[in-house]
Amino acid sequence: MRHLLLRLEPLIWLLFGQGILIGTILLTGWLLVVGVLAPLGLVSEGALVFERAHRLAAHPIGRLLLLALIALPLWKGAHHLRALSIDFGGASRDPAVATLLYALALGGSALALLAVIRL
Amino acid sequence: MSPAPKKTLVVTRFDPDRDAAPRTQRYEIRVREDWMVLDALNFIKDEIDGTLSHRWSCRMAVCGSCGMMVNGEPRLTCKDPLRQYGETVTVAPLANFPVIRDLVIEMDGFMEKLTSVKPWILRAKQLAVEAGPVRQSPEQLEEFKQFSMCINCMLCYAACPVVANEPDFLGPAAIALGHRYNVDSRDEGASVRNEIFRGEGTVFSCSYANECSEVCPKHVDPAAAVNQAKFNAVIDWAKSLVLPRGGEK
Amino acid sequence: MTRPAHPHAMQPSRPGRTRTAPPSLPDRFPFAGRYLAYTLFDLTGLLYLVVGFVVLRAVWALGSGPETWQALREQFTNPLYVAFHLLTLVAVCFVAVRFFRLFPKAQPPRIGPAKPPPGPVIHAMLYVVWLGFTLVFATILAGGLF
Repeated sequence: MRHLLLRLEPLIWLLFGQGILIGTILLTGWLLVVGVLAPLGLVSEGALVFERAHRLAAHPIGRLLLLALIALPLWKGAHHLRALSIDFGGASRDPAVATLLYALALGGSALALLAVIRL
Repeated sequence: MSPAPKKTLVVTRFDPDRDAAPRTQRYEIRVREDWMVLDALNFIKDEIDGTLSHRWSCRMAVCGSCGMMVNGEPRLTCKDPLRQYGETVTVAPLANFPVIRDLVIEMDGFMEKLTSVKPWILRAKQLAVEAGPVRQSPEQLEEFKQFSMCINCMLCYAACPVVANEPDFLGPAAIALGHRYNVDSRDEGASVRNEIFRGEGTVFSCSYANECSEVCPKHVDPAAAVNQAKFNAVIDWAKSLVLPRGGEK
Repeated sequence: MTRPAHPHAMQPSRPGRTRTAPPSLPDRFPFAGRYLAYTLFDLTGLLYLVVGFVVLRAVWALGSGPETWQALREQFTNPLYVAFHLLTLVAVCFVAVRFFRLFPKAQPPRIGPAKPPPGPVIHAMLYVVWLGFTLVFATILAGGLF
């Protein structure tokens, strides 16, 4: 498992890097509006009604953005949690922890693809 | 004239023949205004306790011998003024290293990591002497010069949380040195080193603490080298998937 | 008070001639001095992982129909959800600031014949892209565009 992880490391790091860069850039607006302002009633009522939200999300650009918005933070999160585990003395359990975390990210990414396809 | 001020140095001691584990010993001494931490240690060894063991050499921050933890920070004790500290100063061996004795750490592990990245010019074919010297422009030199300023003081290793927890990690200085040669226009060994960078000591273990660059006394910025090395290692890896023989000539 | 590092940290492949004391962690690691910001940076991974699945849930609800979408929007008004999103927003900003500071020096000196722009220019460009995209995306989500 450790050997496989080493071979996949460049790809994982690429996904992690994009998770930090693109994921962060994408998440800010989403969290601000969908996560905070809209629930607090500070956004116009019609902004996130189903018809409008679905129309925007189902557009090809919308689907791509949403796919990135879900998948990239998952890889950033998984990789950083793996680093955290190692920082707290987890070198020996790293293969197991890394496998679990990256499997979560991979599974979430696959579900993200499904979610944007079925919009 | 008022007497010289006193300071108490709390120094880690460890004698492998007598001590089960490191302990601390306090030395209260009168210090001079212009002393560095190293001067105080040398005074202790010369005048108070000749059994104290510590490494030092040049006294001018170029040899890298005198690295120690001073009040919890990795420092070159020859350029660390004592006057910036309070009445009590703790001096301990560099963190993350096995300790041979007192303030002397085992550095063979570091030397092994350093040599593993092949820190010399690698060429597919040696140039003939008749071909003359290899020319390099100032711009080409600028691309790697800062990474060549490392004095192997190991302060970066003492500060790095990944070095503390991942024994196989190559570490900041070794990666910076390998990257220095990868970027040198005279070198042709980048693919060899990038394979080492993707191996057991993988550069991708670096988790952006940036502590190495914070503590580096020569402003090498090893964090920059490590992260540039990651980028290059990824390019190399991608090439190896797509091109025959990884694109090597 | 020293705590042990990994027992094999910086250990040579062959033991030396005398017994050595095991390596110790840096005193301030992981929650004091500069290490605190580093540990928090790693900890944001938890928020990113969770929010990825929360957004997944939202998009799945959107694909399931108007009732499911409306139900999810109502759930998002729960103070716990709002607090989570706000905390994650703060974490995302913290990640952006820290990462943008590191990003310029992580660029190689050359990519083929092309040199990247100077560090401060890259740094500024990152903020322009981040804030610019956020403004446009937030405006769209809030109903101000399209």
